[in-house]
Amino acid sequence: MVIKKTVWEFILSLNFVKKLLFPIYCLFFFTVCAYASNDVYLSLSSTGSRASIGLSDFLPVNGLFEEMSLSRDFKDVLENDLILSRHFNVAIANTSYKFDMDSQFSYWELKNVSVLLTGSIAISDMIKLTISVKVYDIESRQLVWEGKYSDVVSNYRYIAHEINDEVVKRFTGEEGIARSKIAFINNSTKFKELYVIDYDGYNLRRITKDNRLNVLPKWVPNSTQILYTSYLYNNPDLFLVDITKNKRKAISTIQGLNSPTSVSPDKKTMVSTLSRGVYPNLYLLSSDGVIIRRLTQGKYIDTSPSFSPSGREIVFISDRAGYPQVYIMDIDGVNLRRLSTKGNCDSPAWSPKGDKIVFTMKLDNTFDIFLYDLPKSKIIRLTEEQGNNENPCWSQDGRFIVFSSTRSGKSEIYIMGLDGSGIRKLADIPESSFTPSWSQGL
Amino acid sequence: MKKYLVFGLLSLCLVVSACAKKQTVAPEDTEPGVEQGTAVDTNIDSPEFAEEPSIRDINIDSKSTLSIIYFSLDSSNVSGEALSTLKSNANYLKNNPKVNIVIEGHCDERGTTEYNLALGQRRAVKIKEYYVQLGVSPKRIATVSYGEEMPADKRNNEAGWAKNRRAETKVIVNK
Repeated sequence: MVIKKTVWEFILSLNFVKKLLFPIYCLFFFTVCAYASNDVYLSLSSTGSRASIGLSDFLPVNGLFEEMSLSRDFKDVLENDLILSRHFNVAIANTSYKFDMDSQFSYWELKNVSVLLTGSIAISDMIKLTISVKVYDIESRQLVWEGKYSDVVSNYRYIAHEINDEVVKRFTGEEGIARSKIAFINNSTKFKELYVIDYDGYNLRRITKDNRLNVLPKWVPNSTQILYTSYLYNNPDLFLVDITKNKRKAISTIQGLNSPTSVSPDKKTMVSTLSRGVYPNLYLLSSDGVIIRRLTQGKYIDTSPSFSPSGREIVFISDRAGYPQVYIMDIDGVNLRRLSTKGNCDSPAWSPKGDKIVFTMKLDNTFDIFLYDLPKSKIIRLTEEQGNNENPCWSQDGRFIVFSSTRSGKSEIYIMGLDGSGIRKLADIPESSFTPSWSQGL
Repeated sequence: MKKYLVFGLLSLCLVVSACAKKQTVAPEDTEPGVEQGTAVDTNIDSPEFAEEPSIRDINIDSKSTLSIIYFSLDSSNVSGEALSTLKSNANYLKNNPKVNIVIEGHCDERGTTEYNLALGQRRAVKIKEYYVQLGVSPKRIATVSYGEEMPADKRNNEAGWAKNRRAETKVIVNK
């Protein structure tokens, strides 16, 4: 084996042989790729219009074992991010260990890859991590972007997410979502506690440790803060927790219901459902929980508010028609319009681009996720015959929807594309998980 | 319905007069929630109706025997058997005017989390309205919704769900 390798390297080191052997060389590569298990061509595209990105190994700068091992893990995270973004077709190979850039370009060219993402990885003082990334345009063989990221070794996943989001931004102009997190409620402690997990199903973290009932987490836009309703002091009060500081405070503690809340895009106000001794109605509150005005009146239920991205309107649920339906109104409480016409609806969420509202509706026996297309005034069904599907929430780029589903026999969190395609379970988490909320601009 | 209203108003007068008398005997008695001699407005739109005792820092009296009121699916209306339960609960409350209560509204698991939280609240308020009409001061009654979060029966069938669509009246003991 050793001899073979030396001979091979010797032959390759002769430049003219290299040129002569180029076609054979490529053929060799194809053969290797076909048989080596880590060389997989990945594609999620059915249209073929996506850019193809080649991802090669990140070179261990100091040749440390830790660097090589981390290089593989890092590449896995980045590869997964690029695939989950559904902006690219992703091809991977471990080319950078062995070949110069020209050979690499030729290799990727043959794979019809238009962009190469590669780099190096260095670990110093046991815990300091520096990752350099380079992105090349294959056709012109030009370096189009390079970046350098430093952090502690344990944060390597975050660096991969940062690089993915930078690549997404450079190629699509949109903000990537790989650094986003999802908050949800899980009952594995026999109580209902608040948890946070990365969008790719890693870094599960329990936020509340109250042994009490906590419900309906909602991210505050562009922040590390989550609003939720907690029965910590018996009454369903509205709390705000900062997940980086692990600090929380009570926001609204009016006797009775203080619940589901949507924060305005400018974060100055929020809409919440309060009962105040009578029936649950919607109120506009300041960000610190002071009532600005009451938005709805009456003996029926008005709840589940969600702000439009303009901050001028809200979508919410009311059973004023006799059963819960989706309504829109201006934030001053006027201009009420009903969107849905049948079923039992709940949990409407306004899309970040403003043109759609996702909600859950029970037409027969189960709840399913539906989209209301505002310009077309049309309802589109996204899930069908897969248990109950509830609490849909948008990704920041408006291309994905997170929701809970009982399709596996228990309530778990899933993510799907805007068109209902590519459904994936967020993670295997013990017991049941409910009411996901996706961070916006984290 | 009218019958109950008349009954309610009559009972209210009784309670009010009883309290007025008590006040002259013990004017320093200002425990929260005890009727203080003036007639209370039983209208849900009145400010008095919305005044609830706090349920923070309280214990629930586990010995209290007030009965549970059950509802039909997606409804907060009370009918038949539930009405007589309501009346006997109200009678107990009128006979024990120092007792403050919390009404817990619950739903079965078939609805959605957010809507059920509101529905449980409406069930609790509906029961509060009945109690007030039957002569109990609204200031003695707190309401709380647990939505579908605290099922009494874990069974995933109609028998189980029927047990979960309920309003429980519990006696508050201040810590």
